[in-house]
Amino acid sequence: MRTGIAELASKLRKREISAVELTKTYINNIEKLNPTLNAYVHLTFDIALKTAEQADQMLKEDDAPLLCGIPMALKDNICTDGLPTTCCSKILDGFKPYYDATVWEKLRAQGAILLGKTNMDEFAMGSTSETSCYGAPLNPINTAYVTGGSSGGSAAVVCADLAVYSLGSDTGGSIRQPASFCGVVGLKPTYGAVSRYGLIAYGSSLDQIGPLTTSVKDAAIVFDAIKGCDKRDQTSVDHDYGVSLAEYLDRDVKGMRIGVAEEFFDGINPEIKSQIMEAIALFEKNGAIIENIRLPALKIALPVYYIIACAEASSNLGRYDGIRYGHRASSYTSIEDMIVKTRSEGFGDEVKRRIMLGTYVLSSGYYDAYYKKACLIREEINREFDAVFEKCDVLIAPTAPNTAFPLNYKGASPVEIYLSDICTVPVNIAGIPAISIPCGEDSKGLPIGMQIIGRKFDEPTVLQMANFYEQNSGIKAGVYEGGARA
Amino acid sequence: MAVTKTEIEKLAKLAKLSFSDDELERFTAEFDAIIEFADTINQSIEGGTEQIRSVGARMVSFEALRPDEVAPSLPNDKILSNVEGYNGFFSVERSKK
Repeated sequence: MRTGIAELASKLRKREISAVELTKTYINNIEKLNPTLNAYVHLTFDIALKTAEQADQMLKEDDAPLLCGIPMALKDNICTDGLPTTCCSKILDGFKPYYDATVWEKLRAQGAILLGKTNMDEFAMGSTSETSCYGAPLNPINTAYVTGGSSGGSAAVVCADLAVYSLGSDTGGSIRQPASFCGVVGLKPTYGAVSRYGLIAYGSSLDQIGPLTTSVKDAAIVFDAIKGCDKRDQTSVDHDYGVSLAEYLDRDVKGMRIGVAEEFFDGINPEIKSQIMEAIALFEKNGAIIENIRLPALKIALPVYYIIACAEASSNLGRYDGIRYGHRASSYTSIEDMIVKTRSEGFGDEVKRRIMLGTYVLSSGYYDAYYKKACLIREEINREFDAVFEKCDVLIAPTAPNTAFPLNYKGASPVEIYLSDICTVPVNIAGIPAISIPCGEDSKGLPIGMQIIGRKFDEPTVLQMANFYEQNSGIKAGVYEGGARA
Repeated sequence: MAVTKTEIEKLAKLAKLSFSDDELERFTAEFDAIIEFADTINQSIEGGTEQIRSVGARMVSFEALRPDEVAPSLPNDKILSNVEGYNGFFSVERSKK
């Protein structure tokens, strides 16, 4: 198993290694592997080395933060002042934000070292990261397969040890599904737990930033560092967790009530179902109580998600007009023509499909039948989760109905790709937290992910259950051999 | 339902997008399948949806509203640093001769 954040922090404090040395090790590893994996799209080595020198100074103080001197990566939709942030879209080619996202502001203040920005589906719209304008990142476990998406690069850099941890964003499973495909840990926090200020918007009522790591403990440490209310994000919530999450992890699972809903297992690959059932049996053997529950509205959660997410996207992406930043068409006959040409040249096919669907469901004559109805059913899904969490502490489900797809898989239509989000989107609709943790592999050696879903702001219980499984199943993050920490 | 090319063209105009003839052909077929998928929202679910009562009640929290006070903002030159050829105006190609 890889050295975790706490152990690396201890080595940095004992001067067994300096932040500069650690950063250089990661830079060498990235130079060696990134040309193949395409996991980073913008590298920030000069700044990383300068920050590492400052971190080494900070580490001389007794109260240096835990993440000080630890090299990490950010998804390319998280704004970094003066550094490229493109959402892997041609329309934001060359864009350098003029402010830091709150999550990066917090990590930077703690001495975190940014190695670069990671590859992703264009504007986070996709499940394979293949819609990136820079080409797809490759899955380090097997480079013939996709990383998943949309935070595919963030999962790949952690898997291949090209960063100690990374941040991704999750609108319908975009942290959890790539974590599952690459065999790492991915946490989607409660909506409102982490500020979205500086996260380039896709579906604003669904988006949430979270960590990708190689252990549950690391996920707890990073979440602890980025969570909290922010006056610049009106949807962020001032919630007092009252505990240090990393210290909460070792609690017993005896007497914990685990809900298992059959709707999450409809149409799931049998190899995945069997691994998840084995995991549930391990919890039961250790004193957890298994409750079979029903969530009937999940059957229509997918169209609800796509209608709401695309409606919000069509509005959020209205700002890309080529006037204030990013790509602008070179020839046009009027301002209107410039905007249409800029958008048509700048957006890829999947983004156009989602803008068009969003425009359709918000347009006169269709609003009530699609958007309003989706919002109504969203309420019903919320009520079903509320009722279930009155008798269960957590739910366990697969993260995805399948393991990683082969690269350039042409057999799937856009709708078939949408269907692969079935296990993750209900969590975003309800705004509740969930983690994906490695849960074995299929017969092709590709990682399987298990999802643990909790009540709003009950990340402590989600992390506790995940940590129990990680410590007792013998299954660790499926990390790439030969990484910087190997 | 079958979405027509004319409807796609109308939608594209609303979304400020344009498609070539080939793209339009492909896009119309794909979009038809996407709308069919969106229509599955109307399938019945156990217990029905007639008990669904309120819309969006929990999506907006007015507790988060803060006093409307003027606070320091980002400097103009920084905000406009990504504008192509900015010199006090947003310059675009002359479009009226």
